Amino acid sequence: MRKNNCELTRRELDELMLDETCSSAAVEHLRECAACREFHQTQTKLRQMVGGLGTVAAPPDFVFRLRARLAGESNSASFHYWPLARRGLAVAAVLIVLATGIVVVRNIMNQPQEVITANSVVPQPAPRPVESPVESPKPTAVNPEEFSAAVPANSPQRIKNQRPAQIAPKNRRPVATMDFSFDRADVINGSVAASTAFPIDASLQSLKVSLDDGRGNARTISVPAISFGSQRVLQGGNQFAPKGVW
Amino acid sequence: MNTLTTIDELGFAPALQEEMLEDTTSDHALLEATRTGNQDAFAELVSRYRNQITSYIYRMTNDYDGAVDLAQETFVRVYRAADRYQRSYAFSTYIYRIATNLAISELRKRKRRKLVSLTGFFQATDGGEAKELNPPDGRPLQDSELVDTERRNAVQRAISTLPEKYRAPLILRDVDGRSYDEIAKILETSEGTVKSRISRARGFLREKMRAYL
Repeated sequence: MRKNNCELTRRELDELMLDETCSSAAVEHLRECAACREFHQTQTKLRQMVGGLGTVAAPPDFVFRLRARLAGESNSASFHYWPLARRGLAVAAVLIVLATGIVVVRNIMNQPQEVITANSVVPQPAPRPVESPVESPKPTAVNPEEFSAAVPANSPQRIKNQRPAQIAPKNRRPVATMDFSFDRADVINGSVAASTAFPIDASLQSLKVSLDDGRGNARTISVPAISFGSQRVLQGGNQFAPKGVW
Repeated sequence: MNTLTTIDELGFAPALQEEMLEDTTSDHALLEATRTGNQDAFAELVSRYRNQITSYIYRMTNDYDGAVDLAQETFVRVYRAADRYQRSYAFSTYIYRIATNLAISELRKRKRRKLVSLTGFFQATDGGEAKELNPPDGRPLQDSELVDTERRNAVQRAISTLPEKYRAPLILRDVDGRSYDEIAKILETSEGTVKSRISRARGFLREKMRAYL
């Protein structure tokens, strides 16, 4: 019962303002209860100390600074939505960077495929029956791997050529070959000067073909001069001239 | 055509004249005039509340410069939101609510940044109660003014260590002398909660200020 009275009295004292008077029951209880009396004195002193903090004055230029701030905000009213615009610009910039990156990556991914395509595009002529009395060496599309066969096995050049195709440089160019074996020979008319149509000393020159194997290495094929005996073209175009007459 | 220059010429009864004058100078009327672009009315509102708001925020944050900035921000928000102001609450309740929200927001920012006040307290690192850096010197001082200053500083430091939910109602009640009803409206809570928090805040303070009591 007494404890209940203490709680009620302390609650009442706690809720009152300092200048307000408490009820007669509380006064009566304070007269009897030393603990509540001490609590009341301590609490009153504490509240006086807190209340004695008083009001801190604003600085003298408070109004001036506030006016300047409001004026500055009204001047920059057009930039009121600048944070939103800034986010929008940031998103747009990210999208542009992503799009550019996608384009660049696609170009990089497509580059090796172009090389492969170019390799596959190299014309592989279908074998045609050639009725030639002389069995000429059958020229084929030049394959870099075939070139390496001619190189000694322990040579650095061969080791270099044995690298896998996947690590070939990106600027690899397709191997370009030209096969003239199946082309029809030019028809030489008698009216055309033979010296301009077919140089008489052509067979005396060796044939040299220089090829690029796609890795930047030049391969030269040297075909020695082929002689079929006397090669003269008659001026008159008459191949049945009398013996001893040229 | 005669032009009326004073309210006396309107011929109202004295009591009615007083009521009208009161109405034209009330906070609501000033804010209404501010809404229509009357800068003087807003200046009058600022002059009425600038010290109260600055002092309240200073007691909450224990940082005078920051309190001045937040007080200015409070008035800027009042000015901006003048069109949306509703007269269901007293203007003082309205502006104190803005100031309280700004002060609590600032305290939470500080807590996130783990800022430590250089005026005498370390914040506890484990999230518990703050610890006092300089315990109060029990020796008597020579000058009574120094004693008062030291005591006020100790009270201010002790208040600044209170949790924010206890700090605001204690300041509003014991420093500003506001009623429970108004505090409840400012803090948007019930009167019972306000009374309970104030009682607990005083309990905390009593423990911290034992050397001075």
